[in-house]
Amino acid sequence: MATLDLDWEDVREQLRTWREDNTRHSEEVVDMWDYCLKHYKHKLGDERWMVEEQVVVAGLDCYRLDVAEPSLVALNDQFPGSLRVRKLKAMRLEALERFDEAMDIYDSIIRQDETNSTARKRKVSVLRGQGRITEAIKELTEYLKIFMSDSEAWQELCDLYLKEADYSKAAFCMEELILTNPHNHLFHTRYAEIKYTQGGLDNMEIARSYFSQAAKLNPNNVRALYGLFMSCTQVLSSSKMSGPKKKETQQLATWALKEISDRYSKCRTNTMDGSKILETFKSLSIMDKA
Amino acid sequence: MAELLLDSDIRIWVFLPIVLITFLCGILRHYVSVLISTQKKVDLTQLQDSQAMIRSRMLRENGKYIPEQSFLMRRHFFNNDESGYLKTVKRASAPQPMTDPNMMVEMLKGQLTNMLPMIAIGGWINWTFSGFVTTKVPFPLTLRFKPMLQRGIELVSLDASWVSSASWYFLNVFGLRSIYTLVLGENNAADQARIMEDQMSGAAMAMPQDPKAAFKAEWEALEIADHKWALKDVECDLLQKAEVDYLVNSQSFVNSS
Repeated sequence: MATLDLDWEDVREQLRTWREDNTRHSEEVVDMWDYCLKHYKHKLGDERWMVEEQVVVAGLDCYRLDVAEPSLVALNDQFPGSLRVRKLKAMRLEALERFDEAMDIYDSIIRQDETNSTARKRKVSVLRGQGRITEAIKELTEYLKIFMSDSEAWQELCDLYLKEADYSKAAFCMEELILTNPHNHLFHTRYAEIKYTQGGLDNMEIARSYFSQAAKLNPNNVRALYGLFMSCTQVLSSSKMSGPKKKETQQLATWALKEISDRYSKCRTNTMDGSKILETFKSLSIMDKA
Repeated sequence: MAELLLDSDIRIWVFLPIVLITFLCGILRHYVSVLISTQKKVDLTQLQDSQAMIRSRMLRENGKYIPEQSFLMRRHFFNNDESGYLKTVKRASAPQPMTDPNMMVEMLKGQLTNMLPMIAIGGWINWTFSGFVTTKVPFPLTLRFKPMLQRGIELVSLDASWVSSASWYFLNVFGLRSIYTLVLGENNAADQARIMEDQMSGAAMAMPQDPKAAFKAEWEALEIADHKWALKDVECDLLQKAEVDYLVNSQSFVNSS
């Protein structure tokens, strides 16, 4: 196993980076802990407890209870009565699908410390885990009434609304995300996609603008280029367009098409054959010939 | 100028004790402040207020990136006369810091751990170890450094690179930061320099305490914010850029061929 050769200090550094970036990498964390760091935990000092917490979450993610439980016990011995440890216990119950008990624990945490946002968020994820989407949405909107600028929560709510096919509300959530970070091209793409799915000329024009913005922010965003092309053709197909506007849209569509085909012709030489995709494009671009 | 030779007793009885005393005081201060500090309890409404303020500020700053309809909808949510968030949410104006007993206790604790030891130890060191030349920095310095490095010694003829005992104490107070992080871990309370910074910025940070006034200011700012859609000309921009790219590419093609 490659992880056996890892230096434990490198592992600690890596785990720390992941903790700070809020990325989970659960499988890697479990492996690293299991093969390497487990034997050095006495060397970690105060950081040990943070690592153990990370390991518990990672272990529960992968359903490696054999990894998560010893760490959870250690944390419990070290910090009896801590809310953070209690949250971890509830997460273990979630992993065991004992949702009601987990819910009770989260409720008790919130009673004790009503500003505890993680417990509230976990409640939403419990509902989502059970597939009770509408209830999850309700819970999450209650949460967002208090923690209004939590972009993570807005993102989750957008996701939930999309699951329910409630596009106008999903679009609202996406707007909120664009407000928090207007230079993230992925938000723009997603927003445009939602608007595109909603349909109608107005929405289609908005979609076209946001696809263009995404393509402008990141010229490598092929998804936005595709979307730009599709929304342009859609707009063109509704004939209520004036002369110069129509010409511009047409130009935009041909430009997007050219960009995409350029990209694919570059790729063709390497691993995959782009010619089929180009053919598909030709069939898609009937609008331009007409 | 004749080279100065320091008595080795100065090293043992002045130089090292000052280092030791400042270091131990830092450690002591850290543990005392850990002992008497209380976890700050955040109040739910306070949290909600600050989050709403952040969101409203975002709307003002980045509102141009969302369609006008959406912008107006959000502004309506915050500013509407009958049901707007910033209008209807009633908050009691902030208590005066001096009348709030909790605040008083907090301030007293801060004074107790920060200012008092600094004054007391500084005074004591000045009194006990005054007038010694303790060490020499290994590089020449200009005369301007004399008041900084030779506090307590008013000798015109002394070279500026000699350090007096009082100055040595101050160098220690501000220079032991990395030693403290080594011994006590990050974010310890022993570091004087950090405390100073906190006190500097503290005054500015504690200002928007009164939610009522802050809400009113935000309401006004949002009221005059108008919406200018940033994406209005994005398609034109994109096409123009594409044209320029095309021209540049063809130019380079001509040049190379």
